[in-house]
Amino acid sequence: MIVHLWQNIDYVASVVLFCIGLYCVITKNNLIKKFIGLNIMETSVFAFIVALGVVDGGDAPIMGAGARAPFTNPIPQALILTGIVVAVSTTALALSLVIRIYQHCGTIEADELREME
Amino acid sequence: MKRALTAAFLVLVSLPLLYAMSQLPQHGSATSPAYTHIAPRYLERGPEEAGAENVVTDVILNYRGFDTNGEVTVIFTSLAAVFAVLLAGREGDERSASEPRARTTPEVSPVASFVVRLLSPFVAIFAVYVVMNGHISPGGGFQGGTVFGALLILATVVLGKATAEKLQPARIRGLLQAAAPLTFIAVGVAGLIMFGDYLAFPKAAALAWVRTLWLIVIEIGIGVGGASIISAIFWQMGGDR
Amino acid sequence: MTPSSLLVGIIVVPLAGAVLTPVIGGKAGKHAWTWATTVMVATSVIAAALVNQVARTGPFSAYLGGWERPYGIELRFDEFSASVAVICLLGLLAIVFSQKYAAKELPPARLGTYYTLLLLNLTGMLGFVVTGDLFNLFVFMEILSLSGYALVAISGERTAEMAAFKYLVMGAVSSLLVLFAIGLLYALTGSLNMADISDRLTGSAEVPAMLALALLTTGFMVKAALFPLHVWLPDAHAIAPSPVSAILSGLVVKTGLLGMIRVYQIYYGAKVLDLSSLNTVLVWLGAISIVMGAFFAIFQEDIKMMLAYSTISNIGYIVMGLGLASQYGIIGATVHIFNHALIKATLFLGAGALIYQTGYRNLSDLRGVGRSMPFTTAAISVGAISIVGMPPTAGFLCKWYIALGAVQAGHPVFGVALVFGALFIFVYYIRMVNSFYFQAPIHPEILEVKEAPLTMLAPVLILAALCLAMGLLGRIPLSFIEPAVTRLLGTLGG
Repeated sequence: MIVHLWQNIDYVASVVLFCIGLYCVITKNNLIKKFIGLNIMETSVFAFIVALGVVDGGDAPIMGAGARAPFTNPIPQALILTGIVVAVSTTALALSLVIRIYQHCGTIEADELREME
Repeated sequence: MKRALTAAFLVLVSLPLLYAMSQLPQHGSATSPAYTHIAPRYLERGPEEAGAENVVTDVILNYRGFDTNGEVTVIFTSLAAVFAVLLAGREGDERSASEPRARTTPEVSPVASFVVRLLSPFVAIFAVYVVMNGHISPGGGFQGGTVFGALLILATVVLGKATAEKLQPARIRGLLQAAAPLTFIAVGVAGLIMFGDYLAFPKAAALAWVRTLWLIVIEIGIGVGGASIISAIFWQMGGDR
Repeated sequence: MTPSSLLVGIIVVPLAGAVLTPVIGGKAGKHAWTWATTVMVATSVIAAALVNQVARTGPFSAYLGGWERPYGIELRFDEFSASVAVICLLGLLAIVFSQKYAAKELPPARLGTYYTLLLLNLTGMLGFVVTGDLFNLFVFMEILSLSGYALVAISGERTAEMAAFKYLVMGAVSSLLVLFAIGLLYALTGSLNMADISDRLTGSAEVPAMLALALLTTGFMVKAALFPLHVWLPDAHAIAPSPVSAILSGLVVKTGLLGMIRVYQIYYGAKVLDLSSLNTVLVWLGAISIVMGAFFAIFQEDIKMMLAYSTISNIGYIVMGLGLASQYGIIGATVHIFNHALIKATLFLGAGALIYQTGYRNLSDLRGVGRSMPFTTAAISVGAISIVGMPPTAGFLCKWYIALGAVQAGHPVFGVALVFGALFIFVYYIRMVNSFYFQAPIHPEILEVKEAPLTMLAPVLILAALCLAMGLLGRIPLSFIEPAVTRLLGTLGG
């Protein structure tokens, strides 16, 4: 198993990042830090999917003069382009909400907000 | 305490995840299912049948164009969502948007202002270059649109919002913001009428240039929409103070 | 119109409507309501044509861009996708209901955005239920989730924004779990088309397949608010504007369950894993949800909070039915997805009408309202009877089927849990009806309140009538869904 893990070290890295992100989301008190945790999770999943497309010695999948096989798999890259945009959109909405919560309550610490309820 | 418990929980969760990762097809292998099932067709026939030498562009705009159609809808949704959250609330709730700003932008040094004025034409040209070359090189509508959006944000910070807004006339701003989904719908419906499938491109070998042209049209739509939406979100977020 | 172009139309028409709303709706969203209503009427016509088509010919597909499976994106319309009819109906009625409600309850500058987001949310759901591609499913899920978060916050109140943030964090984590699982399935099969994944998953490594299943289930169950992943739901659904609550509670949580049905289609077809342990977990969690949701609902004073907890309890019924994995159980669960949407929309829109007219939202404050708003309260009572599952109404047949499913699967104990849950639910709805009709009003002016305006009353009455009709004609949806369930379980039995 260790050998396999070593061969798939890129996937292992995304699992570790995923857990770090989830840790931030659960334990951080500041809403923006919580959201940074979420962004770490997003990045880890994107890294995982992009890593799926890697081929040893592969080139960027752009054809034309001078292009030589093997090429990396274009599908994961295309998916993650979409994924990144989704992540940016979620971040924009989350930050807007944080702006409004700060205007209303004067704080973005989760425990102080809970006390105000 | 909470931290220790969370950490312990996550270590427990990560064990099955790691075990599953060790069972996946080997990283970088050319014989994995991901590389042998659909990708070979895209790599072999993409440039001729989908219209772009950059196969990633083929995938996002042609083979899986509907995903990108959904994706531009997602950013449009995020714009609407930001408006829903930040547009002037109830009276007496907050300063309304029409009220003059309480704090004006701090004075910008003449050097920064000069440099931005000097560089903006080049940044704009680079943005156009990135949009128009998405089919043969890394780049495309989103990337170019983001560069242009960044230029608009820079202009807002340095030259003031009024100057930057001139680039997006208020009358057609709604259309500009919806440009990306509308381009997709237009191209899609054209494909439906002419070739029988939504988002279908001309298939004949002689029409390769039409395929490339359609790709560029979509890229421009995405670029315009992306830039308008990014700058609009920035204005909305900064507009309250 | 060919079936495949209709299938595209069901997504593209509301999408075009949504992105054009800010342009056509005018400056302060003056025409936004008329426009949104028109768009939803057109979409409903398409939905009706699609359901008619699937009833006549069985499932059919559209291949976008003309790329055949698995190279392009496939839209697939099967019997489960017939939920487009309910989505369109509820969407239309909620938009009609919004005319007066939104004008009074929302900041005027946000009116146009409100209708844009409603249409986007409906587009997302319509896309979600008809797509046959796993990644495309994720994209549509994001459209509907993002617009959902914003719609919760749109009233601009502090509590609403905090509820929306909580919803957003939970929702974003669950979307990531789903995306992670999509990545795993792609690594195992090299495909994103659901049918193709199902074919190619056979014989692949078990552990990653199991992990993907676990991630998908967890992700969708957060969206569906199954215990213990429900913590975001009560606040978000109770604080949102009432038409939004109706859509969130009636439809958006159901997308999690429909997503789960897609997962079952993939995994039952692939036969790579034995799903019985997952199903046992789901049945138990479903049972806990039923009892817990009902238990908390009893103690709620706020009428919308009570309805929100009741949603958790009903999600429990559906999940239990799915987890039983028997013919009756799944049929009952699927039909309860439709029926609960109708019932909960009746209740939330009715409650919205009461709040709009009286300005009160606590049950004790609403005492005596039955005398001044007879039609609205009658409609709410019909909804209450249906949700308890009294025989002549929509709720009865599907709960009966789920109970039969429990017996069929050899777990009659869960049938008992189900009946107990129904008793709990009975208690709190009796309490609501009691305060409407039989208790002396605390606020005497409530007797002077007028009946709700027509644009609010008509949707509520139509929905209440449908609750009754679905009870009397309950066989139709049951027999409609049966072939799909047989196919699903047929692949299970081999």
